[in-house]
Amino acid sequence: MKRMTLGALALTLPLAGLAAPENYTLDPYHTYPHFAVEHFGVSMIWGRFDRTSGKFMIDRAAKKASLELTVNTASVSTGDNDKGSRPRSLDEHLRNADFFNVAEFPRMTFKGDSVKFNGDIPAEVTGQLTLLGVTRPLTLKVERWACKDNPFNKKPMCGGNASGSLKRSDFGMKYALPAVSDEVRLYVGFEGYRD
Amino acid sequence: MRELLAHPIVQSSALPFVVGLLAAALLLPLRLSGLAAAAGFAATVMAVGNFALEPLTATRKLVVLGGAAALLGALADLAFRPTRFTGMVLGALFGGASLWAFASILGQKSPLEAALLGAGLVAFTAWLVAATVSLHYDPVRAGAAALALGLGAGIASVLGASALLGQYGMALGAASGAFLLLVMVLGARVAAGTSLTLTASALAALIAAGAMLLAQVPATALAALALVPVLVRLPLPHVPGWMQAVLASVYAFVAAGGACALAWLAGRGWTI
Repeated sequence: MKRMTLGALALTLPLAGLAAPENYTLDPYHTYPHFAVEHFGVSMIWGRFDRTSGKFMIDRAAKKASLELTVNTASVSTGDNDKGSRPRSLDEHLRNADFFNVAEFPRMTFKGDSVKFNGDIPAEVTGQLTLLGVTRPLTLKVERWACKDNPFNKKPMCGGNASGSLKRSDFGMKYALPAVSDEVRLYVGFEGYRD
Repeated sequence: MRELLAHPIVQSSALPFVVGLLAAALLLPLRLSGLAAAAGFAATVMAVGNFALEPLTATRKLVVLGGAAALLGALADLAFRPTRFTGMVLGALFGGASLWAFASILGQKSPLEAALLGAGLVAFTAWLVAATVSLHYDPVRAGAAALALGLGAGIASVLGASALLGQYGMALGAASGAFLLLVMVLGARVAAGTSLTLTASALAALIAAGAMLLAQVPATALAALALVPVLVRLPLPHVPGWMQAVLASVYAFVAAGGACALAWLAGRGWTI
């Protein structure tokens, strides 16, 4: 009997290990929030933030996960950073008080603590986005999710793509409405290494 | 009409000018025509529609302080006889208030940088308010100074990459221009008082300081703007009142134009 109990324990131990919450730290070189807005109702203007940090936790057995992102708003980049003959470049304008107001609000954060799963895979993250000192709910749909070992350093990693949308006016960013659309599409590509 | 009011140029020029003119004319019997600047500015703030008390950002604190300046100015005009110390007291008060307005930005700097910037802000705001308020007895010079301060701070802000502060500054200039127009037509019986001089100088100082901290307006542009209340004191010839208003405005625009030129040069990478 004792031998059987020990055997069962030995069999379940690896499963218990799998069920434990796993913590990951985001890789800032492969984690970039992108955004897209409509310009004059004609084209989409794309931009991204070059510096983002954060972490996520996933517990597949308990179907729980969380995500924390901290975005350096001064790192906003649309590719238009040379003012040329204009008084300012688009990136300079985005950093000023009309848009991201980086001198006053150097960080934008997302704290996602309600995650819906599709099987073992996180499908939707709902949390709170804080931008310009205003906190509002935001849901990101996880469109891609994968976990594997980094082929070079063999470290276990997970990551994927998530997307969502928000109304910038909800956060007090009302400059150039409606010429620049109120709706902002968000696309976050992220990768994290297990702690 | 709604579309027209949504246009940034209308919001920061025609709208505050018309509202300022109406306010100056309606408040003439109360000798509070100087509230034209506050009325025109408030109209623009409402039209732009970006005002709320939560979160109270630096730009919004600036609007709150503009409202406080208008109230305090009107109270001073109605209840007190301004002395030569009035400008200094109000200057010190709004110099201190500028620290409150920009505390969230200063708090993110190193202690030394915050101290230097804070001292500069207090000195600039205190000087501009004290020197402009002391023009309260002279509607021609006060109106010209308010016009140049508003337009100077506004255009410099646009050149320094802040459209919202630019709109606010130009609105202040347009509303002050409406006041000056009434002075040109009706003469010295249109009182500038503390209601015009305090509102215009406090708002212009805060807009320019905000454009320096939140955008890319150089400190040298603020120094040039600080010369407006000095240049506007240059002697005026004995000519009709409207001509004196034009001349005083030209004097004031030498300093305000200099501020805009410095902001424009800084945008091209040239600094002094």
